[in-house]
Amino acid sequence: MSQLTFEEINTTVLKTLDKPTPGYWRIVALLFTGVLVLFGCWGYQIVNGLGVAGMNTPVHWGTYLINFVFWVGIAHSGTLISAILFLFRAGWRNPIARAAETMTVFAVMIAGIYPMIHLGRLWVVFYMLPLPNQRFLWPNFQSPLIFDIVAISTYFTVSSLFWFTGLIPDFAIVRDRSEGMRKKIFGFLAMGWTGKSGQWLNYSRGYLLFAALAAPLVISVHSVVSWDFALGVTPGWHTTIFAPYFVAGAIHSGLAMVITLMIPLRKLFGYEKIITIEVLESVAKTIIFTGLIVGFAYGTELFIAWYSGSSIEQESFWWRAFGTYAPQYWIMVVCNTVIPLAFLFKKVRTHIVALFVISIFVNIGMWMERFVIIIGSVAHDYLPNAWGFFAPTLFEFAIMFGAFCLFFFLFLLFAKHLPSVSMTEMKEHVHHRSHS
Amino acid sequence: MSAETTSIMGLFESEEEALAAINEIKELGWEVQEVHSPIPSEKISAVLKRKKSKIGWFTLTGGITGFITGFSVAIFAATRWNLIVGGKPIISWFPFFVIAFELTILFAVFGNVVGLLTQVGLPTKQDDTYDPVCSGSFYGVLAGAKPEESEKLKDFLQNKGALASSFSQTT
Repeated sequence: MSQLTFEEINTTVLKTLDKPTPGYWRIVALLFTGVLVLFGCWGYQIVNGLGVAGMNTPVHWGTYLINFVFWVGIAHSGTLISAILFLFRAGWRNPIARAAETMTVFAVMIAGIYPMIHLGRLWVVFYMLPLPNQRFLWPNFQSPLIFDIVAISTYFTVSSLFWFTGLIPDFAIVRDRSEGMRKKIFGFLAMGWTGKSGQWLNYSRGYLLFAALAAPLVISVHSVVSWDFALGVTPGWHTTIFAPYFVAGAIHSGLAMVITLMIPLRKLFGYEKIITIEVLESVAKTIIFTGLIVGFAYGTELFIAWYSGSSIEQESFWWRAFGTYAPQYWIMVVCNTVIPLAFLFKKVRTHIVALFVISIFVNIGMWMERFVIIIGSVAHDYLPNAWGFFAPTLFEFAIMFGAFCLFFFLFLLFAKHLPSVSMTEMKEHVHHRSHS
Repeated sequence: MSAETTSIMGLFESEEEALAAINEIKELGWEVQEVHSPIPSEKISAVLKRKKSKIGWFTLTGGITGFITGFSVAIFAATRWNLIVGGKPIISWFPFFVIAFELTILFAVFGNVVGLLTQVGLPTKQDDTYDPVCSGSFYGVLAGAKPEESEKLKDFLQNKGALASSFSQTT
């Protein structure tokens, strides 16, 4: 990476903004069809009611909540990379920070859609906001669900502003190298940025403060998401370990998604000299770490269930491992904690195909983790006569498919129309390496 | 400034060259009017004796406002009907702290954005002296001299390794 010059960085990144090929638009169109499936199914559900989904007593939080937690989790590693690793001055995050932060913004957006889908009556969504109203009703701010509204909307706002702020110097680079309408658009977005020393001084300070604020925010957001469950007295949920357990899991899944996205991106855009194998290797090493934390959390849950002496807790966890949803449980354990251990071997973590395949396994494993937690606990709580079973309907799978399409649709539009690698941060990285 | 000055832009390939030029320009009694760079440079800010950023004050003000707003909104909503929910006090500090914390971050970020816009000075009109290569890889040092010394300044910049120069007259 040290041999890259500033001009090479500009050229490589700006080349990705060249006129898209018909093949690109075909993929975009295909993904847009998937987006239509999402909104079509959602519209159908609004007309016909929540009964079209497989949720029923006792499982009222089905795939909608699973996907909500999944996407919030995906978002988290973007902030870890863009904010927390920025504060730690980890140079390897610079090439992937922009794409990871973009992933955060889109993932939170999709996460935010799910509670609205689950709401059924979408038109009363504003009841959750503290607005003066004819009903004289106010939200209950003691409720973790209201914590969630505040936390997720804060997270989305902060991530979007952080993302845009990071883009300003890059907008100026594109502006200075384009003509016509593109110059006008990027000139508008760059807001007159010219990289004056006074501008940089204040900008760097502001960016640092952004990162310093985003770091505790990201920890708080997934803690709040975990309290949606942990503040309920349901067996398997009511544990103090939930907040750190969820945060670690979120970062685990998000890092896997970063690899899933970065590998095709570097291949398609010729970013091999920017997103080097060492960068991917660093992500893989972090996945080993988060995988071990997640594995430790799984073990702790089982130990505490046994050690508590509570027969309800013991039954709940025994059933998780050997009951109806045992396959999902063991997929979760193997994909999240066993398979990532393959990254201990340098040959595996520096092999592109192996990296990609393992990242997919972790994505699947983390989705299953949310399934096991959300479905498993309520399907099998205190009273045997209230035990039940949940299986997603095709309709829910269609909405899930549509949400994935929406994510990749947005990401693809971003990658071809905005700089997907932060040219400024890459230059800083190259500059610091050559001066250290 | 009543006297007429001529501004000359020297474009340098590296931070070191730009720094050396800035130091000498100052020693020779000319004025360094502005420096444009592709990346932030603490060394350049230090040489130009830029004042410490005040953005932190905007952020802090936003954060304090958010903290108070968070608690206030939660207490206001809870005291409209004074209903006991989940056996917790009407004004429950721990749950309300979560709201206050989130709004602290949110408002601190709003303050930070206001600080960024006002202190960085955005949006703004692009300077006439700005050379677009400065966003790419060049460090642009804009120096000012009396019209009669402009040729001397230009020669100086070129001797220091400036690859190109652009000129503009200001009064």
